[in-house]
Amino acid sequence: MSSNGRIAPSTLSVKDLPWQIHWDKDRCSLCGRCTAVCPVHAIELGVHRQRLVETPVGLTEAPSNVYRVYYGIRQRTDPSYACVGCAMCTLVCPNDCIIPYRSDEADKLRYHINRGGQPRRRGGRRNVPGGVLDQIKFIRISMLTDPALDAGRHEFELRTLLGRVLPPEENMKLLHEEGWIPPVREIYPLMIGAMSFGALSPNMWEGLQMGVAYLNEELGMPVCICTGEGGCPPRLLRSRFLKYVILQIASGYFGWDEIIRAIPEMKEDPCAIEIKYGQGAKPGDGGLLMWYKVNKLIAAIRGVPPGVSLPSPPTHQTKYSIEESVAKMIQSMYMAWGFRVPVYPKISGTTTALAVLNNLTRNPYAAALAIDGEDGGTGAAYNVSMNHMGHPIASNIRDCYLNLVKLGMQNEIPLFAGGGVGKSGNLAANAAALIMLGASGVQIGKYIMQAAAGCVGSESDRCNICNIGLCPKGITSQDPRLDRRLDPEQVAERVVDVFLSFDTELKKIMAPLGRSTSLPIGMSDAIGINDQAAAERLQIRYVV
Amino acid sequence: MENGRRLESRVLEERIQKAVAEGHRCLEVEAYGQHGIGGRLWRAGDVPVYMKINGSPGQRVGSMGFPNTQIEIMGPASDDVGWLNAGAEIIVHGHTTNGVANAMAQGKIYVAGNVGARAMTMTKYNPRFDPPELWVLGSVGDYFAEFMAGGIAVVCGHEAQDPDNVLGYRPCVGMVGGRIFFRGPHKGFSQVDAKLVPMSDEDWAWLVKNLQVFLEKIHRSHIFEQLSNRGQWQLLVARSPHEKATKPRRSVGTFRQEVWEKELGTGGLIGDLSDLDRSPIPVITTGDLRRFVPVWENRKYVPPCEANCPTGMPVHERWQLIREGRMDEAVDLALAYTPFPATVCGYLCPNLCMQGCTRQTANMVPVDVKELGKASLNAKLPELPALTGKRIAVIGGGPAGISVAWQLRQEGHEAVIFDMDKTLGGKITSVIPETRIPKEVVSAELERVRKALPHIHLQQHPTREDLEQLKVDYDFVVIAVGAQKPRILPVPGKERMIPALDFLRQSKQDQAQVGKRVVIIGAGNVGCDVATEAHRLGAEEITLIDVQQPASFGKEREEAERIGAKFRWPCFTKAVTKEGLELTTGEVIPADTVIISIGDQPDLDFLPETVATERGFIVVNDIYQTTDPQIFAIGDVVKLGLLTDAIGAGRKAAQAITDILAGKRPQSDTRRMIDYSRIKLEYFDPRLMQFDDIQACAEQCSSCGVCRDCGICVTICPQGAISKQEAGNGDFEMVVDPDRCIGCGFCAGACPCGIWSLVENEPLV
Repeated sequence: MSSNGRIAPSTLSVKDLPWQIHWDKDRCSLCGRCTAVCPVHAIELGVHRQRLVETPVGLTEAPSNVYRVYYGIRQRTDPSYACVGCAMCTLVCPNDCIIPYRSDEADKLRYHINRGGQPRRRGGRRNVPGGVLDQIKFIRISMLTDPALDAGRHEFELRTLLGRVLPPEENMKLLHEEGWIPPVREIYPLMIGAMSFGALSPNMWEGLQMGVAYLNEELGMPVCICTGEGGCPPRLLRSRFLKYVILQIASGYFGWDEIIRAIPEMKEDPCAIEIKYGQGAKPGDGGLLMWYKVNKLIAAIRGVPPGVSLPSPPTHQTKYSIEESVAKMIQSMYMAWGFRVPVYPKISGTTTALAVLNNLTRNPYAAALAIDGEDGGTGAAYNVSMNHMGHPIASNIRDCYLNLVKLGMQNEIPLFAGGGVGKSGNLAANAAALIMLGASGVQIGKYIMQAAAGCVGSESDRCNICNIGLCPKGITSQDPRLDRRLDPEQVAERVVDVFLSFDTELKKIMAPLGRSTSLPIGMSDAIGINDQAAAERLQIRYVV
Repeated sequence: MENGRRLESRVLEERIQKAVAEGHRCLEVEAYGQHGIGGRLWRAGDVPVYMKINGSPGQRVGSMGFPNTQIEIMGPASDDVGWLNAGAEIIVHGHTTNGVANAMAQGKIYVAGNVGARAMTMTKYNPRFDPPELWVLGSVGDYFAEFMAGGIAVVCGHEAQDPDNVLGYRPCVGMVGGRIFFRGPHKGFSQVDAKLVPMSDEDWAWLVKNLQVFLEKIHRSHIFEQLSNRGQWQLLVARSPHEKATKPRRSVGTFRQEVWEKELGTGGLIGDLSDLDRSPIPVITTGDLRRFVPVWENRKYVPPCEANCPTGMPVHERWQLIREGRMDEAVDLALAYTPFPATVCGYLCPNLCMQGCTRQTANMVPVDVKELGKASLNAKLPELPALTGKRIAVIGGGPAGISVAWQLRQEGHEAVIFDMDKTLGGKITSVIPETRIPKEVVSAELERVRKALPHIHLQQHPTREDLEQLKVDYDFVVIAVGAQKPRILPVPGKERMIPALDFLRQSKQDQAQVGKRVVIIGAGNVGCDVATEAHRLGAEEITLIDVQQPASFGKEREEAERIGAKFRWPCFTKAVTKEGLELTTGEVIPADTVIISIGDQPDLDFLPETVATERGFIVVNDIYQTTDPQIFAIGDVVKLGLLTDAIGAGRKAAQAITDILAGKRPQSDTRRMIDYSRIKLEYFDPRLMQFDDIQACAEQCSSCGVCRDCGICVTICPQGAISKQEAGNGDFEMVVDPDRCIGCGFCAGACPCGIWSLVENEPLV
């Protein structure tokens, strides 16, 4: 600030910002890489004047002033250019002399990110680290009581079912009568959840798909991936890889005309159809892909002209009751593929999940229920939705499972859990905990972005700028200048690594339970928690 | 068995140990399922002990066997034969069940049949001893050689239990050491842990030699020929830790080429939708791949001095010329903008350029234009162009009128000034006190003006008819008559008030007289001038009143305060009497003379109907054109203002007229003032309070928005991407090599003048 500059209410100092750039003058070579790479222009070259007062010892001569000018990296304090902590500067610095640090106190910026009355919007996740899943321990370790299994030695078949499983007698009856038996897929219990082409960059999307195809075809792991709402590239629709893909339909219906027109040319049925009613990151809110992100490519895939804004409203327009919403959509989507493809709804974690589930139990077509908990991530949402809306996944999935148990249908409608699985890096442990609480499988999004593409986002509000298309890793950007930082092949490689290591870890958890071929779905006697209230709520063992 | 009764395992063990301790070296056991028979016979020392077992031994025959021990089981054996064997030789003349040789570290086990699951698992090799050996005549069961860590297994596949798979299901999982010779078909083994290797002659020689021994031990030497066909044998060895790290699977790169793109087509998922290059790029990029690019925005914005000067004087450019040592040009340049560079810039102007100077934003002393203005007294009249034949009548010979005529003449148009005064100059000559400006400065500049401009001295006020005639005779008429009609308060005794302009005019001609006590209504700058003049003429007690906080400032105010004038506000005049000035409060300020200085109004009686007015002033558009397109109006007749406002209006009106005469749409400078924040004052000394001379002043000018060719950008660019390109005409340009530039913005950050700007690159899609 200049010496007679004024302050406005939103004039902030570096101290007020969430991230402070520490820069070491002595080591800096002024190479310009940090300012060139900063996604938000939070740093710039500064001209600094240094004053030296030279006073001779003994005061033998008159003291004098000497000025000298030096250059340095300066952090900007305008809220629009506040450092997001991505640390790309640190990454590119040849001399390790620049790094952002999280402020030692709650920032003041949060009170000012609403210029023009527009509340803060961002990408990322709920800015609350940790969670109940990380506290769950696997306390049943069979050494002698059950056949002791060795994760490294024994054979495991980690598979789960996606689809409506009929009771055996009914199944036999229908088989005998040659009636319709709901399609069921045997899939890997860890799925890549919905992230649209558009939310993700082309290279990221292709990398994930390629990794999934590799896992299926080279390693025999039936991993599946959901497209998210944004259509599906025509080539993928017409390839055999479609069978690893869950097509999502949501309130914006983008790309669906392209999908419908591709049906006659499809070599394979898709794995399943997910009907999105809600999203864990922004429950009850929709999305808007801004016009400037709708480039030629996105437009072609979504089946729209370029340069128009694409709204996905919070709700589907033509559905007015739960009965109607669910039944109508499920029926329609089954019809599209001749009742050969499982169709299931996805909702955000909510106290009304039980109502939805009860409805599904009465609908013989409902293939599953996916619930996305409050810790889910997104490309863009209001901060308030992300931080404060939604239901934790653990208790939501548990309630649903116990409800199915009450109805005697726990093996009939699989539940899929998502939202914060692996948020602290404990992917297998979180997944296993959810499975033992009653989930048939789990969906991941942020985790795969972090592990497969190096997303630097965190619950400490680091980076989280997916919404403005400036992703420094090229994960959520449509700008080739950023997108091309990501090599799809390397993403695929990392996807493979993630699933293989997950596989081993899950086995390490399952082996001591004596399970090798069937997932311990709902095996809640194997888990415990060091929190009495949580234990009671989840109806699992309290251990201290 | 003893007397028809089975001895329990413990008792049998005690008997055997006792027998050995007593010196027995050849034992025969009639087994009946006892556990662990034949192990641990260390009491015999190095002397060999032979044990023959008839019947059915229980599990773990020969477990923890010692090297001195040879055990021969005459029939089949149960689980874990030779468990933890530490050196015993165990011969089984039948099949065995599961776990043969489990954890065996030394010794040999010869089985004349098939073995069950998990044989040769967890075996060891201790380098201090020979490796353990397991010989199986038939086949092995499932999970063979799990975690095998050493030793040699030989599976002969003779009369195998499963002739199609002599190694059983999933052998070698976790195998880390040892070798397995086998004969016959197999159905796979753990590729991660083991590998088939060609058998060397040495291996084969070992196998043949020991096969003979094995067959002798189990009394089957006759099948040696049958088994010793080298082509039927294969050798499995454990992979080294290094080999295990690289699991044999297709690379993703190969998968992409051979599977992914083969199925989807070239370019993968979106190869059909996009022809953009999607290959990986580095994080730091150049050329088209830069996210941001620097732009040299020289002269794109108006410097604050120029923007703040109503005349539009490019002050910075004059400093630049001085820095370049072209003092004369710097001085002469002024005449292109004003006919009064010395009078106005040097003396009378409050110098809005200096008030707006960027240096002020950092509390630094602005570069002093006053000195430069004074030096302009010597500016030489430029050579005037030949006349175009276009004629413009200018009514009013004050600063506005002179300015417009001056500019028009420089464009080659003939501008004739019609004025009531004998001499040109308007308020400059008639009312501004000489304390504010030396007479010779004004006369010198007016002399320069007179050389360029004709002047018609009017004897009487122009009339409406005169104006109509001028419209006929001239292409355009510019009204610049100023505001001459004093505003008077409608209060009792208003006839006692002396209008300020009258007073000042008379004072300049030394015809004014004042009493000892003077009250001045209106404490603006004119009021201040009046106060100063009154003081000069002998007034002792001078009071300026105003209805609000006085708006006076600068030199005028300072002078008035210096001579001891009192300022009072808010004061509302009720009447003027011979005692003085009576306020609405009833107070009377004693006064011998009351001068009113609350502004003047134009005298517009001569205007034709076509020229619209509002509240006593002429209405003009942004090029100073009145509602009559042939008539322009400038100066106080439009809006009361400073001298520089009048001069600037003249300049702009002249430009508009010139444009219209040239058949062009009048153009005005639409450039915006440069943002102060772009200028880097850090390059200058903040403790500098005054400038020694004009040269020193020029050096401290930050040349806002106009490149001063300091070369900092060329130097700071980490990529060496910036260079200076001469344009030939003395002009130059700073250019960026896109193939070097990384878009770091250092040029913009370092530029003292705020020329460089970092802007988003053109979108690629």
